Amino acid sequence: MGITCEEVWRDISDYVDDELDQKQRAVLEEHFAQCRHCAAVLEGTCNVIRLYRDERVLAPPKGFHDRLRARLNQKLNQGADERIHPSRRAVLAWALAAAAAVPLGFALFSAKRFLLPGLEHHSPTGSPDSPAVKGLVAVSLDANNKIFHIPSCPYLHGKLKFLSVEEAIREGYSPCPICIGKRKPEKKG
Amino acid sequence: MTDNTECNARNDRIRATEEDLISKILEGDRDLFLELIRPYERTVYATLITMLRSKEDAEDVTQDVLLKALARLQQFRRESAFGTWLIQIAINEARMRKRKMRHGTMFSLTSAADDDGAYVPKDFADWREIPSEALERSETREALAKALALLEEHYRLAFILRDVNELSITETANVLGITRGAVKTRLRRARLMLRDILSPGLQQGGQVGLAFKEARNPWE
Repeated sequence: MGITCEEVWRDISDYVDDELDQKQRAVLEEHFAQCRHCAAVLEGTCNVIRLYRDERVLAPPKGFHDRLRARLNQKLNQGADERIHPSRRAVLAWALAAAAAVPLGFALFSAKRFLLPGLEHHSPTGSPDSPAVKGLVAVSLDANNKIFHIPSCPYLHGKLKFLSVEEAIREGYSPCPICIGKRKPEKKG
Repeated sequence: MTDNTECNARNDRIRATEEDLISKILEGDRDLFLELIRPYERTVYATLITMLRSKEDAEDVTQDVLLKALARLQQFRRESAFGTWLIQIAINEARMRKRKMRHGTMFSLTSAADDDGAYVPKDFADWREIPSEALERSETREALAKALALLEEHYRLAFILRDVNELSITETANVLGITRGAVKTRLRRARLMLRDILSPGLQQGGQVGLAFKEARNPWE
């Protein structure tokens, strides 16, 4: 026998993991063939691993998967709800801002016309439908909600219509909390 | 050392399926997430129950970890296997919880050190082959959980990563931030201690009782 039992016990775990070189391995195997005690220790070690590897050991309690699914669905729906129903606060803030902007814009517009009647000019930008037209917001005609977005908002989809903020609000649209409210999409509710 | 090629091929297949699932989930098909994590529900839970000890905490944190993984899926770099990445999140989360809850006492440096002394098995009884039905019994499963709980945490954790999560020794070392040598030392101690704790009951009970005395640390 080229190896003592103590040496075998020291290497037995590495043997199971196939971490020994071929020569060490052969020496150990030779020892196992002759030493019943060490063979029993090896078998026991392998049994331990086999037992704990079994799916039934240390398994989550009954109903775990269903509870996880429920939590996940809740979380996903919560995210969707946030997108569809912006908080009342955001709506109010925007409605106020828009309400203030309308008379202000009108005042500036009439003041300009009044003070500088000769300088009336036509904008050189392209078609009025272009999303690049400044101040226009976009609504999705395919969405089943009434939300208006900045034309670059990732939550816009389907067929789009562009209109002014005032028009959007008049038609019952509310601002997107993500692109206009600058809310982070992943933020918890 | 290298795994055999059959095992590598199987791992490659799993990895390819997972990468495919991950891409689809990131493209918006979030329902597939449950499919992606299904194989890891048990291993994450097993890891957390060995760290947190309470079933309620373990379930709670497992669910948190899995939901966190979905939120962070974009950060998954694919340098490691998905399972390894997941278990890393789980361990960090458990450590954070324990710190917050002041769960148990802090381990002193000496108790966390690896005992690399010579090891002598407590008995040399032959284990009879354990019938698969034995694991159907909750007492058997309970006994296995209790036996594991008797080990110190650093032994427990190395064992659970390598032998339950089936990470490689290198992956285990990376997750725990220790050397491969330290992983091997801890594995040796953990496996032989478990064998000691579990084997006397086996021969005594005959019918795989897996009874063991809770009060003593048989390896001392």
